[in-house]
Amino acid sequence: MTRDEITGAVLEIFRREFEMANPGLDDDLRETGEFDSVDAIELLLEIERLLNRELTHEEKQMAMEIRTIRQVIDYVEMLAVKGQGNGNR
Amino acid sequence: MRGRRVVITACAAISPIGHGRAAIVESLRRGVSGVKPLKEDHLLARFIHSRVFGTVDYPVEYDFKRTHRKTMGPVAYYACQVAKETLEQSGLSPEFITSGRLGVAFGSTHGSPSVQRDIYRTFFTGAQGEFSTIGAVDYLKSMVHTTAVNITKMFGITGRVISSSTACTTASQSIGYGYEAVKFGMQDAMLCGGADEYDTTTVAVFDNLLACSTAYNDRPACTPRPFDRGRDGLVVGEGAGALLLEEYEHARARGANILGEVVGFACNNNGGDLILPNMAGIRETLRLGLGDAELSADQVDFVSAHATGTKMGDVIEAQAIHAVYGSHPLVTGFKGHMGHTMGSCGAIETIFVLYLMGEGFVAPTLNLEEPDERCAMIRHTPGLQERQIDVAAIQNFAFGGVNTSILIKRFS
Repeated sequence: MTRDEITGAVLEIFRREFEMANPGLDDDLRETGEFDSVDAIELLLEIERLLNRELTHEEKQMAMEIRTIRQVIDYVEMLAVKGQGNGNR
Repeated sequence: MRGRRVVITACAAISPIGHGRAAIVESLRRGVSGVKPLKEDHLLARFIHSRVFGTVDYPVEYDFKRTHRKTMGPVAYYACQVAKETLEQSGLSPEFITSGRLGVAFGSTHGSPSVQRDIYRTFFTGAQGEFSTIGAVDYLKSMVHTTAVNITKMFGITGRVISSSTACTTASQSIGYGYEAVKFGMQDAMLCGGADEYDTTTVAVFDNLLACSTAYNDRPACTPRPFDRGRDGLVVGEGAGALLLEEYEHARARGANILGEVVGFACNNNGGDLILPNMAGIRETLRLGLGDAELSADQVDFVSAHATGTKMGDVIEAQAIHAVYGSHPLVTGFKGHMGHTMGSCGAIETIFVLYLMGEGFVAPTLNLEEPDERCAMIRHTPGLQERQIDVAAIQNFAFGGVNTSILIKRFS
């Protein structure tokens, strides 16, 4: 997946699952009042579906500091590259 | 034990016979039944002998935002909707609601059984091709206190949380323990109630115990038949009720509309069998309730009976009512109208009593046509009565041998 494709897919997840139509890429998701710890866990499930693989515990731990959509895109891009390196288990 | 006076300043219900005061009062006046055919659920329904259910068969409009919806199963939708209507009706300020002086006492029988069913489906099918199919929110939707904490979240309530889950006494305990929390100064107000969603699991449980009605499957509106010779068991139902209990001086100071006063509550256990009704236990609850209210039996002019329509339960309850109240108060069992709404019945039935008090009439037990001679010694409400109730007792009994009695006075 290219970064543009990942960006489109992540924004679609936020629109569809979290009803956030035009979120700023650098908005702090917690401060918007529309995204909390439960959403973060749901987002990881959506990322698993997007990448078509189960994330490891360590990979999920890495997501705990994410605050913005740009960081989500960075995270998914990192996982996608890593997945390609691992033959996309 | 003396304490502060506790009044009811708002209430709302979603019931098989209507949503809101106007619809419910109309149904009570006209003798409308909310019992409908059991719906197909592609799991249990086809194995259940009882083909009837006290059903909320009209649409309920919700306007909850996603951040609230995401942790709510159907039971929490019911609970939050009646809580919302009650808080709006109460006129309490947002500052008070979030001050910590308002608590919540709210429960349900199972949490959300439909969400639990989805979780079990994942276990038993292996959920091929899915990842982490038990979602982060499934527990929040299905846990026993899901109604109470979805309410606290939606309205920012920071006071005490009590979440009883004692089957048929869930909501009556919510009201009773909410009353005690206000009476003894732990909170200035409590939002109390119970909810249960459409659920065939509960029907299957009672069906297995041969406690469900089966003889009127082709005539749902004719069952259950509390105290009637032709009764053949209970009918499970769904619904929700919420009441705002408030310390009297607080309510008076803000000019609140007072619907009634909670003057007594009692709860005990039979101390033995977990299923069979127990005459001594029930009788003692009714006496304890009167004692708490500092009322004599002859001051009670209306009894809302638990009266599920089972063969044995109704007889024992009638005997207990007669032993404590004699044949003075009018007795009505509202389950004749709507079936047994389980974890919500104590709240819905209390709200029905408040409506009758407010409207100045008494509705009879629907489907009670010829009283069983073993239930005939009490004063069954003989048809619709244009009559003022001043003091009412609402009684509920649950599996596990739990009994409750709530006493309410008309406010004048």
